[in-house]
Amino acid sequence: MAGLELLSDQGYRIDGRKPDELRRIRCKLGVFTQADGSAYIEQGNTKVLAAIYGPREADQNMRNQICHDKCFLNCEYTQATFSTAERKHRSRGDRKGQDMSTHIKQTFEATIQTSLYPRSQIDIYLQVLQADGSNYCACINAASLALIDAGIAMKDYVCACSASLTKGKPVIDINHVEESSDCAELSVAILPKLGQIVYSELNGRLHANELPDVIDAVVRGCKDLFVVMDRTVREHLEETATTFTHS
Amino acid sequence: MELLNLQPVESYKTFLKENIRPDGRELMETRQTVLNVGSISTADGSALVKLGETMVICGVKAELTIPSAEDPGKGIVVPNMEMSALCSSHFKPGPPSEQAQVITKFLDNLLKSCTVIDTADLCVMKDKLVWVLYCDLICLNYDGNALDASVLALIAALQNVKIPEVTVDDESGLPHTNMEVKKAFATRGMPCATTFTVFDGSHIIADPTLKEEDITEGNITVVTDEHDNLIYVQRQGGLAMPEAEMQKCVKRAVEHGSEMRKLYLAVAS
Repeated sequence: MAGLELLSDQGYRIDGRKPDELRRIRCKLGVFTQADGSAYIEQGNTKVLAAIYGPREADQNMRNQICHDKCFLNCEYTQATFSTAERKHRSRGDRKGQDMSTHIKQTFEATIQTSLYPRSQIDIYLQVLQADGSNYCACINAASLALIDAGIAMKDYVCACSASLTKGKPVIDINHVEESSDCAELSVAILPKLGQIVYSELNGRLHANELPDVIDAVVRGCKDLFVVMDRTVREHLEETATTFTHS
Repeated sequence: MELLNLQPVESYKTFLKENIRPDGRELMETRQTVLNVGSISTADGSALVKLGETMVICGVKAELTIPSAEDPGKGIVVPNMEMSALCSSHFKPGPPSEQAQVITKFLDNLLKSCTVIDTADLCVMKDKLVWVLYCDLICLNYDGNALDASVLALIAALQNVKIPEVTVDDESGLPHTNMEVKKAFATRGMPCATTFTVFDGSHIIADPTLKEEDITEGNITVVTDEHDNLIYVQRQGGLAMPEAEMQKCVKRAVEHGSEMRKLYLAVAS
């Protein structure tokens, strides 16, 4: 593709970032009153809302999923029709949404201490308001913060970050333009304190020898994200604690 | 507060005797309203409304389409309200809830009856090309009175719409979109909805919360415009109410409407 250079000779990306630089992150906990836990995250122009309901008694029409020794997760991912440049009406349960819901569900099944909530259900609702690449990652980060807000026991934070490889250099937290180019895309979710990878997905072609570099970069990206998320949680808790002591 | 959850009706009565509501509002007082426009850059126009804790976001997307044969010179405005399981535990995952459909229909009627946007303005070339504005509303947090919030969000988002200039080539007849020049529509009128509900057959309260909606019956929605005309009055059954009470609602709706229009003008400037 002429004219579209993902990485300039000076080493800057299309949006002016360095290869190992994340987009600006803004997040907030406890944005809703109705949900048991909620969070909002902005990673560059990708904006995601997460709401958690539960652990609660399993819904009537989900009776068949009840487990006697652990809770089950119900995850729903929706993308607003106005979130992308082109309007697309996605009906509920379309393939892309289902796919994303399943990935998110599996990620959290590996993280939430489900055995503490037998015979119950936890709902994770994700709403993408604006999409500009790395939707999965923003959803994981938002849901992770919302679960913390809901006070649900987890092994660790879950932080997700994406990466690609252009001109032999790994670039992290890719935006929509980089995502739609023909480069490989790797999404990884890690448990930063335990140093474990709970999810990884690679789309597109990448030489096996190059993978360690990309993983290395993406894990560093996740750890940077963790610092921001952890700070937000601590600030939120301090704020809540002061309102409690004053009232 | 405990009692409010266990015996809502009884504890409400004691509150209303003192002419006050549990959240500190007077009977005819509405909640604090926050309006934010243009926060979604992928949409052609957007608005976020916070009415107390109720939160509604509206994004408008403009598309070009061929007009219908009945109205060859008119564009189309399509509102759609979504109240998914995300916004409250009252809603279950699945097809659109009844309430969401009622609101969608209400907004559709409202747009048709008060011509906020003259659909003739949406015409690019008669019989060939018109704009269709998809107005998608999502309720993010539901704490009662989603209707007032969605009307505010819809109107504010429509005022915020900027669409690219389209010229049709005379020879080839093909449209050409100029993304550099974007213009806003002239919106006509600023309707504002105010909802009331009846508690115990005798007390009229404005802008009910979710808890209040649960224990009251029969909403009355009054929509006014900037000349204090009534545009729409909806009373969905419930307990019968005296005519004098109705007058009181209309009077309050006019007051509330002028307050809200200040808000529209403040964000537009």
